[in-house]
Parts: sequence; structure tokens; C-alpha cells
Amino acid sequence: MRQVLRSALVAAAVVIAGAVWLAGMAGAAEILQIGGIGSLSGGGTAWGLAIQRGAEIAIDEVNAKGGLKVGNETYTVKLIMYDDAYSGQGGTTAATRLITEDKVRFIVGPIGSAPVLGTVAVTTPAKVLLMSDGYAPTILKNDAKSPYNFRVTNTTNEFMPAAVKWMRQHFPDKNRVGILSTNDATGQSVLPLMKKFYEEAGFKVTFQEFFERGTQEFTPLLTRMLASGIDIYEVDGNSPGDAALLVKQIRQLGFTGAVIQIGGPSIEEIIAVAGPLADGFLSYDMFDFGASAARQFIQAYHKKYGEGIINGQTPAFYNGTKILLEAIRRAGSLDTAKVRDTLEHMEGYDAGLYGPLVWGGMKNYGVNHQLLLPFFITEVRDGKTQPLIQLRPNKE
Amino acid sequence: MLNMMLNPIILGQVVVNGLSLSSIYVLVAMGFTLLFGIMRVVNFAHGEFAMLGGFALLFLYGQLKLPFFVAVLLAAAIVAVGGLVLERLVFRWFYQKMFQSMIGLLGLSIALTYSAVLIWDVHARSIPPAFTAILRVGGLILPLDRLVVFGVSIVVLVLFYLLIRHTRMGLAMRATAQDLEIAEVQGINSTRIYQLAFVVAIFMTALAGGLYGQVYSLSPFMGEVPLLKAFIVVILGGMGSIPGAAIGGLILGMSESFLATFFGSAVSNFASFGVVILLLIVRPWGLMGTPE
Repeated sequence: MRQVLRSALVAAAVVIAGAVWLAGMAGAAEILQIGGIGSLSGGGTAWGLAIQRGAEIAIDEVNAKGGLKVGNETYTVKLIMYDDAYSGQGGTTAATRLITEDKVRFIVGPIGSAPVLGTVAVTTPAKVLLMSDGYAPTILKNDAKSPYNFRVTNTTNEFMPAAVKWMRQHFPDKNRVGILSTNDATGQSVLPLMKKFYEEAGFKVTFQEFFERGTQEFTPLLTRMLASGIDIYEVDGNSPGDAALLVKQIRQLGFTGAVIQIGGPSIEEIIAVAGPLADGFLSYDMFDFGASAARQFIQAYHKKYGEGIINGQTPAFYNGTKILLEAIRRAGSLDTAKVRDTLEHMEGYDAGLYGPLVWGGMKNYGVNHQLLLPFFITEVRDGKTQPLIQLRPNKE
Repeated sequence: MLNMMLNPIILGQVVVNGLSLSSIYVLVAMGFTLLFGIMRVVNFAHGEFAMLGGFALLFLYGQLKLPFFVAVLLAAAIVAVGGLVLERLVFRWFYQKMFQSMIGLLGLSIALTYSAVLIWDVHARSIPPAFTAILRVGGLILPLDRLVVFGVSIVVLVLFYLLIRHTRMGLAMRATAQDLEIAEVQGINSTRIYQLAFVVAIFMTALAGGLYGQVYSLSPFMGEVPLLKAFIVVILGGMGSIPGAAIGGLILGMSESFLATFFGSAVSNFASFGVVILLLIVRPWGLMGTPE
């Protein structure tokens, strides 16, 4: 009798467990894994977190609405994020791991020429779609014509012509420009471009030099630059930490000319580090955090991550991720070639922060995979940012 | 360009910049050389104690608004005393084990850095400036915050020298450093001496970190540069030598200022490491150190 009872109990347990498992299977949506690559260690961590957080907010929005409908399937979207340690090798390793182990077909990030070039070397042959941000022109301009690679922020080629044109009007009496760049792939590819654009606008770049990333004491180098007699100091696309110290130290050395960073936005960090010495600082700014369109995004950010500084790259990767997810939905397929073709024809789609989507890049890179975003020239006044003008890249 | 720069004002500014740099380097290197000199520990987590000193100062001065010099001393004291927990859990296993300490404390460095990331996030920030004035003396520009660092490093150097050379505690530390067994036979409690040396070393490091975080910037990753500079300074001056740390800091600061101003940062970095390599070949115990 006990034997029969035990067998009945075991059978009942198996049936119940099976029913629970089947019920779970029936209720669960499929998972769509999106890969993320960014610097999650070392000095570039602010950028890596910007990618991760921007993508997560975009993904949360889609999941909160019931998931991403692709053809007849509805997917719960999930981000898998890996560290590139802000290096080319790190980008290659992270991309390889995402593609071979996690089987992802879509990747957002990284930021920075070296990690992006390392990533592209893996994603292009694997036909994996990449939404990245590095300033080196070769990221898009290459023999393969970047079939699966899209850039989600403006680079020097996009924002410089409009920005230096504005500067020429704003500073008619200032002519001599000094530029300090990092001694790496980003600095060495961007500095010649900046020099070209400044000189085309009628300025003269009288001082240019490279320094090692992570330097904290710039006083000797700045003394050397000031001795050359400059009117404008261009901070270039230096990382937020470096840029903030450059601004602080050049003002401590008594420089009263214009200090501007067209090369890349670090404005919040510069205010935090340079304090009152940041007053009058001008910057290319990717995003107007005071705009009404930004309110919902900012609330979502603070709710999820607390009351810290929001890096300017965060809304850009929120935007890039939303565009990617919309392209997958419209394509009705996870086939990267179909999603790419859909992406290329999504002009006019508004992801909510930057207005209608515009692609460009054919003239500079031979492929229309460059997102053209409106941008701002912002001034620091009494420790607060004040957008002076909104500019748009030329569509070419 | 070179002719333009060879005028008395720029040369004077280069000297001022060099002294300012030297004082920061000396301050950063003192704790590092003390830990090595007494316990034979290569503290790879040195920069992270400096970082903790920076965040402690941010809390006490930036948020609680304590008077600046009270906040600076209290911040360093809190990190030094709190550090005793790590002394018991981690450091004590590596005393007199130079090579093992490198790897063990590298692990501690990573753990402290990413604990700080979890607590304070990654972005750089600044401790509110206590001194914002910029003095101009005969064409030379002297930011007051740099002068304060210069003054503090002189005071710390003198007090530390007096502690080591003219107190019973300093005598016990030197005896322990020279011969542990003989010192213990003479009745010196080496564990207690190690704890005292640890507290003094971390106090100086955290003090340096607070000032460093105010002059430059504060972030969980700020410890990398102080560690690198401390290493160069103590190798130049001699591992474990206090006068060596002062001379090494002065040489590094002045040479960086001159070379970076006149020849650029690449030449400056190249020369700094070149001199260290050369010194390690011809005089591996450093300028003021003693051969093992």
C-alpha cells in the first residue's frame, strides 16, 4: 500500500512540475539579446556607462509596452554588456564573445576610435549590425563600405564646419588657435581635421601638440602653448577628466582668451572640476538637457540610476538604440541585412530627443550611415550651461 | 619658439611650476616609501588610499563645511584609522614579502577602485576649492591652492623627519626596519610598530590624496597617476629613504616642468622613464638608498 501511495505521489509531483513548466513556457516571451560594448573600467568608464544606461532606458521603454514585435513574435529585449577597456583589443574581444558565445546579431557601442575599429574588424565579416561612436573617419570610410556599421553621433566632419563658421562670426578679432590632443588613434586622426576646418574658416592654428591620455598636470605644456601667443584655446575631443583639468589649469595660468571645446562634449564634468574657472567656457554640446523633450528621458534616468551627472553620450545611445529597435520592428525580421536596409530608409522617424532622423556621410565616407544630429554651442555662465545657438550639420 | 620662451618670466614660471609639481610628488611618495622602508611592502593600493582621502575630504569640507585645515587633517585621520581594518585583513599577510605584496595589493587596489565606483559613480568631480586666488608676482603666476600644497608638503616633510629621527617611536621604527629579530629581542613590539607605521603612512597618503583631489580632480580612478609618480620618485630617491623621496620628487617635478615646457610632453615622459632605467642600471638602490 505504501509503495502504491509513494508511486502516486511521485507521479503527481511530476505532473504538477510539468504543468508548471509548460505554463511558464506558454507565458514567456522570446528573448532578443542586444549586445553592448563600452569602457566599463579605467578612465573611459563614464562613456561605457553612458552606452549601457542609454540603451537600457530605451530597452525598458520597449519592454514596458509589452516587448518588441518582430513579425509574428514578440520579444523581451535584453542587453548584454561587455567591457572594451577603451582599447582596440578590448573591442575585438568583446565583439567576438558577443557574436560567438551569446549569438547576438545587433550591437550598440563602443565609443572611441580604437575600440570601434577593433569591434568593426569582427562585426563586418560576421554581418552583425553595429551602432557605434568613434571619430576616426576610417570607421565608416573603408574598402568594405561599412555594410553593417552605423555611427550614431556627429563627428568632427559633421559638426566642425558649422561650428567654426559660428566661431568666425562670434570672434571676428581672434585668429591664433592652440590645440592639444591625446597621443592615440582618436587624437591623431582628429587633430589634422580640426586644423583643416579652423584654417578653412580663416583661423591660424599656431600651436598643436599631443599628450598622453591620463595626464593630470598640464601646466608645463600649457605654459609652452601660451608662450606661442594664442587667442583661442581649443580643448579638442579630450575625455571629460582631461578636458576639465585643461580648462582649470589654463585659467590658473592667467589665460584670458577664449576657451572652447568643439571637439567633443565634457561640459558637466568641466563645471564640476573647474568650478568658477569654467565661467565663459564654450562647448559643442550634443544635447540640451533643459529642453522640454528631454524631461521624460531625464526623469527615467534619475529614477533608474540616481541623481548623478548624465553624460552627454547617454541620450545619443538612447536615441541610437531606439532607432535600432524600431528598424528591427519595421523589418519584421532579425536578419541583419533586412534590418540594415530598413535602417537606411528610416529618415523622418523621431525617436523623441533629436527630432526627425537624418542620414548623411556619402561625401566624406562613401556611405550614408552617419547619423546627423542637431547640436548646440553652449556657454557656462555662473556655473550653469546656457545654450547659445542650435546648429545642424550639412547633409552631404 | 625656443627663443621666444627663453625670457626670464617664462623661465621663472617654469621653476614655479616645477616646485609646485615637486611638492605634490613628494607628498604622494612619502607614505609609499615609509611602508616599503619599514615593512618591505610594495603598496600597489597606494593610489586608492589617496583616492579615499579625497572622498573623505569631499565629505568633510564639501558637504559638512568643516574649516578647511580641520577637514584635511580629519579626513586623513579617518582613512588612516579606518585603514587598520585592511592592515589586519590584508597587509599583515604580506609584511617582509615584497613580491607577494605586489600581487596581493594590486588585487586590493582593484577591489577598492570598483567599490568606490559602486558608491560614488565614475564621473570626475572636484572638491570645492578652499583657495581660488591667483597671485601675480613680477609677471609670475602663483595659484594659491598650489602654494598651500607646497607649504603642507614642507611641513609634512619636516614633521615626518623629526618623528623618524628624534622620537622613541621613530627609533623603534628604524630599528625594526634594520633588523626585525634584533629589534624584537630588544623588546620592541614589531606588530605594534608596524601598525603605527601603517597609520602614519596612510595618513600622509590620504592627506596627499585630499590635496591632490582638490588641485586636480576626484574620481575612483584618480589613484593610478599618484601611484605611478610615487613609484618613480622612490626609485629615483631610493626605496625606503625619506630624504630620497624629497630629492626624487624635486628632480621629477623640475625635470617634467622644464622638459614638457621646452620640448613637449612626449620628450618629458621619455626622459622621466629613461632616467629611471638608467639609474636602475648604474645605481639600483637609488640616489639616497642603501644597497641590500
